[in-house]
Amino acid sequence: MATATSEIGAFPSPFSIETPAGCEGWEEMYPYWALFDERRREADENRLWFWNSMHFPLPMPAFDMCEVDVPYFTFAGWQNRAFAVPPAMGVDYRVVNGYVYISPNPVTDPDLIAERAEFFQKRAGYYFENWDELYVKWREKMQALNREVEAIDVPDLPQYEPDEVLFTDRKLSNVELLEAYRRTIHCLELMWQHHFEFLLLGYGAYLTFAEFCREALPDIPDQHISQMVAGVDVDLFRADEELRRLARLAIESDVAGAFREGRSPDQIEAELGESDAGRKWLEELEAVKDPWFNMGTGDGLYHYYGSWNDDPRIPYQSLTGHIAALQAGEQIDRPTEEVIAERDRIAAEYAALLDAEARPTFEQLLGLSRKVFPYVEEHKFYCDYWFQSRFFNKVREFGALLAEHGFLEDAEDVFQLDRREVLEVLEELALTWATGGQPLGPDRWPPIVARRKELLEKLEEWTPPPALGAMPEAVNDPMVVMLWGVTKERLQQWARTQDGGGAELGGYAASPGEIEGIARVVRSLEQLDEVRAGEILVCTITSPAWAPIFSKIRATVTDIGGIMSHAAIVSREYGLPAVVGTGTATSTIKTGQRIKVDGSTGVVQILDSNGAS
Amino acid sequence: MTTSALADLRRPDEERFGAKSALLGELIAGEVPVPPGFAISSEAYLAAVEGLELEGRGPEKCARAIRELPVPEDLRGEIAERYEELASAAGEPRAAVAVRSSAIGEDSEEATFAGQQETYLWVRGADGICAAMRDCWASLYSAEAVTYRAEMAAEHAVPAMGVTVQLMVDAAVSGVMFTCNPVSGDPSTIAVNASWGLGLAVVGGEVTPDEYRVSKVTREVLSRSIGPKEVEYVPDPSGSGAARSEVPHDRRDAACLGEAQLAALVDVGRRVEDHFGAHQDIEWAIARDASGPDGLGELFMLQARPVTTKPSERAEPGTPRSAMDRVWSTFGATGAARR
Repeated sequence: MATATSEIGAFPSPFSIETPAGCEGWEEMYPYWALFDERRREADENRLWFWNSMHFPLPMPAFDMCEVDVPYFTFAGWQNRAFAVPPAMGVDYRVVNGYVYISPNPVTDPDLIAERAEFFQKRAGYYFENWDELYVKWREKMQALNREVEAIDVPDLPQYEPDEVLFTDRKLSNVELLEAYRRTIHCLELMWQHHFEFLLLGYGAYLTFAEFCREALPDIPDQHISQMVAGVDVDLFRADEELRRLARLAIESDVAGAFREGRSPDQIEAELGESDAGRKWLEELEAVKDPWFNMGTGDGLYHYYGSWNDDPRIPYQSLTGHIAALQAGEQIDRPTEEVIAERDRIAAEYAALLDAEARPTFEQLLGLSRKVFPYVEEHKFYCDYWFQSRFFNKVREFGALLAEHGFLEDAEDVFQLDRREVLEVLEELALTWATGGQPLGPDRWPPIVARRKELLEKLEEWTPPPALGAMPEAVNDPMVVMLWGVTKERLQQWARTQDGGGAELGGYAASPGEIEGIARVVRSLEQLDEVRAGEILVCTITSPAWAPIFSKIRATVTDIGGIMSHAAIVSREYGLPAVVGTGTATSTIKTGQRIKVDGSTGVVQILDSNGAS
Repeated sequence: MTTSALADLRRPDEERFGAKSALLGELIAGEVPVPPGFAISSEAYLAAVEGLELEGRGPEKCARAIRELPVPEDLRGEIAERYEELASAAGEPRAAVAVRSSAIGEDSEEATFAGQQETYLWVRGADGICAAMRDCWASLYSAEAVTYRAEMAAEHAVPAMGVTVQLMVDAAVSGVMFTCNPVSGDPSTIAVNASWGLGLAVVGGEVTPDEYRVSKVTREVLSRSIGPKEVEYVPDPSGSGAARSEVPHDRRDAACLGEAQLAALVDVGRRVEDHFGAHQDIEWAIARDASGPDGLGELFMLQARPVTTKPSERAEPGTPRSAMDRVWSTFGATGAARR
C-alpha cells in the first residue's frame, strides 16, 4: 500500500510539461480555451487530467479539433444540462503539445445532487421506458443526417451566375457556399448531439448490470459479464458479414482467381471486369457499398480515417483472406448461433446459481442491458464511421475549391486550418470571387499550413504521459471508468510504471486466454499493413473496422480502454486474448519483443528485452 | 439383515446405519461417484454388546470389553459375504477397504460427534474388517465421546454406532472443495484445495495445499495458487494402514490438478450440491492409475456436508435492491422520490 503522501503529485503538473524542440508556438493551432493557462492554474493543477489516447492517440490537426470541441460540448449538454446526471457535469479538456487531456467535472454538493436526481429520473426514465421506439427513430434520424451531409452541394463559383438566380430566386453562389459550409458544421453538431443522446444511458444500464454481477457473484470474470450482454446480430458486424458472403459468391461464380495476395483493388477489379461473372460480382459489391462500406478504417475522429469506400484495400484484403480460407476448407462464418447459445447458456446458469432474491434483479438488469446494448455497439457505425467519413469528405470538397482558387496548395490542406479559419477563408473567397479583387489568403495560408504540418510531425514523436496533475481520491464518473478504464488502481499503476516500471504491465482482462508471441506496435493506421500473421497487436486503440487485422493476430494489447472498448468487444468476438487499458504498452513494448498476454488476468509480460524495430 | 449395500441406503436409514452410511447412499442416488461398499447397522452393535453389562463400568473397561467381543457368527458371515462381493467386483480377492464409524444421533448435519470419527485404512479380509469394526464400536467409549454424551445429555440413552466399509481409494491426489466461494459466498465458483496422496494431509492441515478457484459456468480456472506440498500420506509398505512420507522436491511445487480434473470436480460438485439443495463442503480423492493421464484415475467423493459458515452479508444496509433503483444509483440518482 502506497501512503497517501507519496501519491500526491504522482503525475507531472500540466504546467511543467515542456514544448519539444522545434515545436514552439504549437498553441496557435488550438482554441484559446483548450490550453492550460496561468489564470486557471490553481484549479487545473489540482485535478487529474488523463490523456484520452483512446479517442485521440495522435496530435490534433487544427481542423480535427472540431472532433474534440463539438463532442465535449454536446456530451456535457446531455450529461449536465439535459439529463442532469446528478454527480457528473461533463468533461473538460486541454491540449498539451497537440494531445488531448480530459478531466471529469463532478458535482459534490449533496443538495444539488438531490435536485438533479429529480430531473434525471424523470428524463432518463422516459428513455428507458420507450427505448425501442426511440431507438427506431434515432436510427431514422441518423440515416437522414448521414444522407443530408453527403448531399450538401458545394457550389462552383461560376463566371456568371445562372439564370435561376435571377428568375427563380435562387441564392447567389457565394451565399450558398457559406451556407453549405455552415450546414456541414451544423450537421457535425447534430451528429454529436445524436451520438450522446443514448450513450450515457446505454453505458449506465450496462454498468449497473456489471456492478450487480460483481456484487452478487464476486468471482465472475469481466468477460462473462460482457459476453452475456453483447449483441450478436448488430449492424456493426454487418459489413464483415457481407464480405464473407461476397467471398463465397466469388468462389461459386468462379472468379476467385482474381483475388491474389498482394494485388491492389484496381488490379482485382480490372480482372473481374473482363468476364460476365466478374462484372456480375462487381455489381453485387456495388449493392453492398451503400451503406455497409461506410465502415471506418479508424475510429473516425481524424480526417485521415476514411471509410472502406475511401480505402478499398481493407475490404479487399479481407475478401482475399476469406477466399483463401474458404479454398483451404476453413470455416469463415462467424459462429453466430453458437455465440448466441453460449451467451444464453451462461446467462441462464448464472441466474440459476443466484438466490431467489437476487435472481429477478439479475434478470431485469440483464434484460435492460440487452435492450440498450445494440445502441452502444451500433452508434459506432452510424456516427463514427458512416457520418464521419461523409463529413470529412464534404470538408475535402471545400478544400478542393480553396485549392482551385489558390488559397491552399492541396485540398487536404484544409484540415490544417481550424473550422473557424476555414469559414474565414471561404468568406474571403466569397468576396474576392465576387469583386475580382486580389485575395490575401493565397499568400497567407500556405506557409501556415506548412508550419502546422511540420509541428504535427514533430509532436508525433513526443510521448504524452498518461496523466497529469493531482491523484484524485476516487474516480466516480461511471463513464470514465467504463469507457477509459480509468480507476484509482489504474492510476496508481500508471504512476508506478512512469517511475521506471518493469517488464510487466497490468490492464483489464478484456478477453480470456493466454498467448505468447511477437509484439507488433502499431501507433497509426498507416502501420497496419506491417502486421504479420501470428503477431500480437500492441496499439493505443483499435477499431472493429480493422476486421482483417483481427483474423491475422493472436492477441491484442492496448494503452487505454475499458472492457467495453472497441478492442475488447472485437477480441471477444474473435476469441482472441486481450488486455486493454495498460496505459503504456505502446511506449514500453517494442516491435519484435516476445511478450505473454494473459487475457484472463489482465497481465502482459515482456519476455525478452530485445526488439527489432 | 444387519448389513446393506451403500447404494441401497437413503437419508431415513440414518437412524439404523448412521449418518455417514446414509449420506454415502444419498450421494450414490445422486449419481455421484463414491467408492463402493456396504454398511453395518447399529443393531449389529446392539446385538453384539447385549449381555456385556456396560452400564456403570468405566469407559476404558467398556472399550476393552468391546474390542475383545467375539463377533457373532451370522454377522461375521454377512460381512464376509459382502466383502467377497466387493473384492471380486474390484477384481482383487484381498482388496483393501476403509472402515469408518458412522455415528448415530442428533446434530448429524454438524457431523461433530466428538471422538466418534474413527477411520481405519487399508484393512484387508473379513477378519480385518471385524477387528476394525470393533475398534469403531469401542470408540463410543473414548474419553471424548463419553464427555460429549454427558454434556449433550444425549437422547440416545443407549449409545449405538453404525460402521461404513468402502473399497480403499489409493489416492494420488486428494483434497476438499467448497461448492461456493467460502469467503465471499459467490455461488458461481468452486474452491478446491488439493495435495498429493491421501486426504489426511489436507484435512489435518499438515500441508499448504494448492488452491484453485473454478467457474461453475464455464469450467475456466479463474485463479490458482500452488502450495509447497511437503508431505503426503501413502499406503504403508506393510500393506495395511497409511504412512506419512516426504514429497520428493520435484513434485512439491508442481500443480497437482490440471484443467481436466478441475472440470470433473466442478461437475461432481454441482451434482452433489443439486442433490442436497445447498452448498457443500466435499472431501474427494483421485485414484492412482498408472495407465491414466498423469497417473491419475477415477475421481471419488468421500464425504459431503453442508457449508455451515455463512458467507459475509453481501448487501450493506440501505443498498437499493430493485433493478431500477440500482440503475439510478449508478447515475448517483438515489434519494429522489419517483416511483
